[in-house]
Amino acid sequence: MSFLQELAAKAAGHPMRVAFPEAENEKMMHAAYECVQEGCIKAILVGDSEKNRTLAAERGLDPEKFIYADMQDEEMKARLIEKYIALPDTRLKEKALNRRMQDPLHFAMVMEAAGEADVTFAGINYTTEDVLLAGQMIVGLKEGISTVSSIGLCEIPGFAGSEGELLAVGDSAVCANPSPEQLADIAISACETVHELLDWEPRCAFISYSTLGSGQGSLVDKVKEAVEIAKEKRPDLKIDGEFQLDAAIVPAVAAKKVKRESEVAGKANVIIWPDLNVGNAGVKLIQIMGHADAYGPLLQGFKKIVCDCSRSAPVSELKGNIIMSAIRAAAQ
Amino acid sequence: MDRTELESQIFEIIAQLYKKDEEELTLETRFAEDLGGASVLMVGLVSEIENELDVMIQLQDAAACETVGDLVDKVEEEME
Repeated sequence: MSFLQELAAKAAGHPMRVAFPEAENEKMMHAAYECVQEGCIKAILVGDSEKNRTLAAERGLDPEKFIYADMQDEEMKARLIEKYIALPDTRLKEKALNRRMQDPLHFAMVMEAAGEADVTFAGINYTTEDVLLAGQMIVGLKEGISTVSSIGLCEIPGFAGSEGELLAVGDSAVCANPSPEQLADIAISACETVHELLDWEPRCAFISYSTLGSGQGSLVDKVKEAVEIAKEKRPDLKIDGEFQLDAAIVPAVAAKKVKRESEVAGKANVIIWPDLNVGNAGVKLIQIMGHADAYGPLLQGFKKIVCDCSRSAPVSELKGNIIMSAIRAAAQ
Repeated sequence: MDRTELESQIFEIIAQLYKKDEEELTLETRFAEDLGGASVLMVGLVSEIENELDVMIQLQDAAACETVGDLVDKVEEEME
């Protein structure tokens, strides 16, 4: 069974309600439909219900397999607004919320925040920025987390890491130049993400060109500070660094370079890049030279699961991301 | 609403969100250097402006404002 088939089987054990604000998009509707057919999710198509039903039928899909959230349904809108406004830590009031809910992405996220959906899945037409900003406005950030970020999951043929061929890496997509505080939050969120998705016990390494002081400079200082902040915020997590990449994931190198006890060195399953320059290059190296499949990015830091897909994603990639989002939602 | 009233309302919202005295704030007050705070406060600021002044400012536009004066200009522009 492949990695994605295993995830699909896991999602089918507890199918979550996924809201699709871009349901009119053919690829998105097909991906949602296939996930429903495999029992992985319950798909809520947000928008003009009549139009979505017609489109489904025209595309050869059974319209009865979907749940519809009609944005013109005033009764539903009023109910959502009432529920949303009653939530703690939400700021928008009725009039402002009503205006935002003219947009399907915001409507879907209000459904999610109000407990009528478990995931918002978008990004085929909306930009990443649209999704991130709407997520911050409507869903909000987790308590104690200061930034949205992402991780990717790499399946690297021949890699013999502590989780076999799998390695989680972040942030390779969202937070460009994180402060030490933000870097710490990226690591904390990444630990939670891999635990939700894969049931891993996270062992999270902060990556640098230095291993425990072997190199000096402001770039190293930033990572060291992030390690301290993360450990202080979440002493329950196995977080350590700063490590060079080899010291983080190769036991023999860790034994040589890390001269103190570490529950992470040499066996990290989560790698935290110091910034997006490294993250972007790192993932591309893994993909091009390691012939890896990279899944994600999985957005993290929001109170609930929000997923942004690539605008050029094929149906198969969309399905993988929908399933991963659903599993994370089920674990929350 | 005239400019002075708009400034006063925005000062009040900022003071409340960033836990500052209104008297400390000027149009030259800089968000990053003088007020600090996480980006999540900017979300609150945009929301409060939308609630209280009925003006929808995009989060990215608000985040691009260097000073309180820039934000007041932006809101005024949207109100026109």
